[in-house]
Amino acid sequence: MFQQLLVNGLVTGSVLALAAVGVSIVYGTLRLVNFAYGDYMTFGAFMGVLFNVTLGIPIVFSALLAMVATAVLSVALELTLWRPLRSRSAGFMSLFLVSVGLALVLRHLIYLVAGPQPRTYAVDPYKVYVIDKVRLSGAQGIAIVVAAVGIVLVGLLIARTSVGRMMRALADDLQLTAVSGVRTGRVIVAVWILSGLLAGLAGVLAGLVQTSFNPQLGFTLLLPIFAAVVLGGIGSAYGALTGGLALGLAMELSTWPELAGGVDPTYKPVVAFGLLVLVLLLRPQGLFGRARVV
Amino acid sequence: MNAPILEVREVTCSFGGLRAVDRASLDVEPGSITALIGPNGAGKSTLFNVVSGFLAADRGTVRFEGRRIDRSAPHRIARFGLVRTFQVPRALTRLSVLDNVLLAASGHPGERLSGLLLRPGRVRARERKARERATELLELVRLESHAGDYAGVLSGGERKLLDFARVLMAGPRLVLLDEPMAGVSPTLGRQLVEHALGLRADLGMTFLFVEHDLDMVMEASDRVIVMNEGRVIASGAPADVRADERVVDAYLGTTLSL
Amino acid sequence: MSTIASFGFWSFVGIVAGIYTLFALGVQVQFGFAGLLNFGHVAFMGIGAYTMAILVVKEDLNMWVAAGCGVALAMLAGVLLGLPTLRLRADYFAITTIAFSEILRYVATNEDRLTGGSQGTINLAGIGRTAQYDGAWQSFLGKVERGLNVSGDVATLILVWSVAALAVGAVSLVMRTPWGRVLKAIREDEDAVASLGKNVFAYKLQALAVGAALGAVAGLFYAWQFSFFSPDDFAPLLTFFAWMIVILGGLGRAWTVPVGAIVFGVIFAGTRFFDFPPFSLLDSTERAYVRLIVIGLVIIGLMLFRPQGIFGSREEMVLE
Repeated sequence: MFQQLLVNGLVTGSVLALAAVGVSIVYGTLRLVNFAYGDYMTFGAFMGVLFNVTLGIPIVFSALLAMVATAVLSVALELTLWRPLRSRSAGFMSLFLVSVGLALVLRHLIYLVAGPQPRTYAVDPYKVYVIDKVRLSGAQGIAIVVAAVGIVLVGLLIARTSVGRMMRALADDLQLTAVSGVRTGRVIVAVWILSGLLAGLAGVLAGLVQTSFNPQLGFTLLLPIFAAVVLGGIGSAYGALTGGLALGLAMELSTWPELAGGVDPTYKPVVAFGLLVLVLLLRPQGLFGRARVV
Repeated sequence: MNAPILEVREVTCSFGGLRAVDRASLDVEPGSITALIGPNGAGKSTLFNVVSGFLAADRGTVRFEGRRIDRSAPHRIARFGLVRTFQVPRALTRLSVLDNVLLAASGHPGERLSGLLLRPGRVRARERKARERATELLELVRLESHAGDYAGVLSGGERKLLDFARVLMAGPRLVLLDEPMAGVSPTLGRQLVEHALGLRADLGMTFLFVEHDLDMVMEASDRVIVMNEGRVIASGAPADVRADERVVDAYLGTTLSL
Repeated sequence: MSTIASFGFWSFVGIVAGIYTLFALGVQVQFGFAGLLNFGHVAFMGIGAYTMAILVVKEDLNMWVAAGCGVALAMLAGVLLGLPTLRLRADYFAITTIAFSEILRYVATNEDRLTGGSQGTINLAGIGRTAQYDGAWQSFLGKVERGLNVSGDVATLILVWSVAALAVGAVSLVMRTPWGRVLKAIREDEDAVASLGKNVFAYKLQALAVGAALGAVAGLFYAWQFSFFSPDDFAPLLTFFAWMIVILGGLGRAWTVPVGAIVFGVIFAGTRFFDFPPFSLLDSTERAYVRLIVIGLVIIGLMLFRPQGIFGSREEMVLE
């Protein structure tokens, strides 16, 4: 039982982790809390449906295509919405509210175009992998492998590449970096591309893991994702990864019967929020965040 | 000799690897006008932040009128009678100039919901008195014509004056002024000094101020404390301090080699 | 627009606008005046409604007393929420408040025995028994109807707007007091306010409590108007609508809230009457989606072109 929950936790956690990195890099560089991020993910999930179910492309390639599609959406929104807003010196609050409006628009456009009925990917539903005491559905198996690869790649990207370095520099000081000659416009687009890729990936993975999903997919995951970002410490991509995995594990393991009967599975999101509140009470800047200087 | 109104002992404050304040100790005599000077980066503003409760020191103690305040919240310290201004004036731009000063009134029953509900008469009376006093103070700093305007229309120098008026409104016993003369015309500056001297004489108010205009410092202050690189390197009468070798070196940037 | 909307429909819109006025006024006090990023405001609405319903159905308490308890409990919840969280930086505080409202919603959905669970208040008295919490309200409404010689809808409209007008007036008055002065100053620069000896934390708690009370009253009217509700009625979306209303009207003034609420109500309901293509090609569920798309676009448009709202001035722009 425990191993099963552990694996479930890693699967959920990886999806949260990847999405959390996507949210975190945008916040870190642009100070923008993108409340529409869940719907970027839903967009990715449904593009996955388009490629996988309608066009019959195998799931892994569909996922890649969905990632690209979401990245395109992400850049398009940067150029048509976020950049004009920034040039009007829109502050934190305005941007957040715009993202709330954008979330509404995206989600209901998807409802309008794709309809509310639940969707499933074209993956053999009967295929089961059994490793020791753990049972994994075909979809979950794919999700784990892809997520693991994704996390490693993202970690390397942030740590080793020049793009990653520039993102970290931007996170420290947007104005300073601009003055020092780095082409901020380009780096910002790169950040949105990466964020979009991650959103698309997380969306498809979430769809795989949940077996069937509707346009609410991303939005229902949004708060646990934000919780993961805050838990890890806003502005820290590693924090986001850690936060996501920690929350995923906490959510699944909390239902373990050995833990005084275990938590009712419907309360899993409450466990996530509870953990967030607890960490913030003890460490107001999050696990890896920087302490506030007066 | 009275006990010092402010005693700072071995206060240390570091940011990252940098020691902004390094085992600083100083005394401020009650009823004095004391200047705190030193080159940029000497730690003067940081020390102000520690004394007024906006920054927690890593080590050391601060005593105000004998009472330890280094662990107290800023608003508590202000209530004890220690009020400060900020280097960059913090005018509340969306309140009127008059409201800015009224805000500083202390012990106003109208600022509590219970007061509003249970003692409306007292609230009105207190507000009336506060308005009178606030208008007086605005006249003192020559801002009474702007009383009804949003504080946002004031220039930098005018905002400094507003800060000054506001601080006085709070009726404190020790006033910390962070570069009060920057951006203020010399004539008006002179008048403010006169007024401070008057307050000192009438109410025994103590002033501790940071200032870069050394001539003004020499003229107006009873005592001068000099900081450099986070440490207090000299204190005493203005003439003595001015002649002190260490002070001269600090300002010229050379270090003593012993 | 070619259809003539029925009076009954528009009085319904008026009632909803009145409820939203009370609800959004709470946001105005918390954010417009005190600068608090509370995104869990809908929780107070739910607490008000559920406390009243549960006490009436399960404890047989007088409805008016139960209503008072609902408001009191919401205020307490506001204070309890603020105590540990107000020291967090603004964005963390915002996420925590949403978490707070979602936790409450989850609890309400799962604790069937207490709240009737996901089926809502129909279930409050247990399976097979009808639960009614608004008996006292209905008879009061009847008296108003007969006394003023109006229909039930109009009576509710009058009652809601009377309370809303009172609330708007009270808040306007309080903001002109010294207490209000401190609150407004906190929004702009709380360090300056602290340096003048004011206990900023205490003021913020009070702002939360006052806002919570307003949210709870809105919840009471919601419960009475619809005679039935479930946890899903108190989703974060409502909080965002309230924020939109406050920004639409303009931050920092109490009387702009009803204007924003009415405009919002008209936008929200008016989209039902788009009887021309391409809207006429959509069925009712699809129109519901379009309505929300329009709301989303209005929010975006507001922020792009007139972030100070209808009545705000650029100089007073508080959003940052």
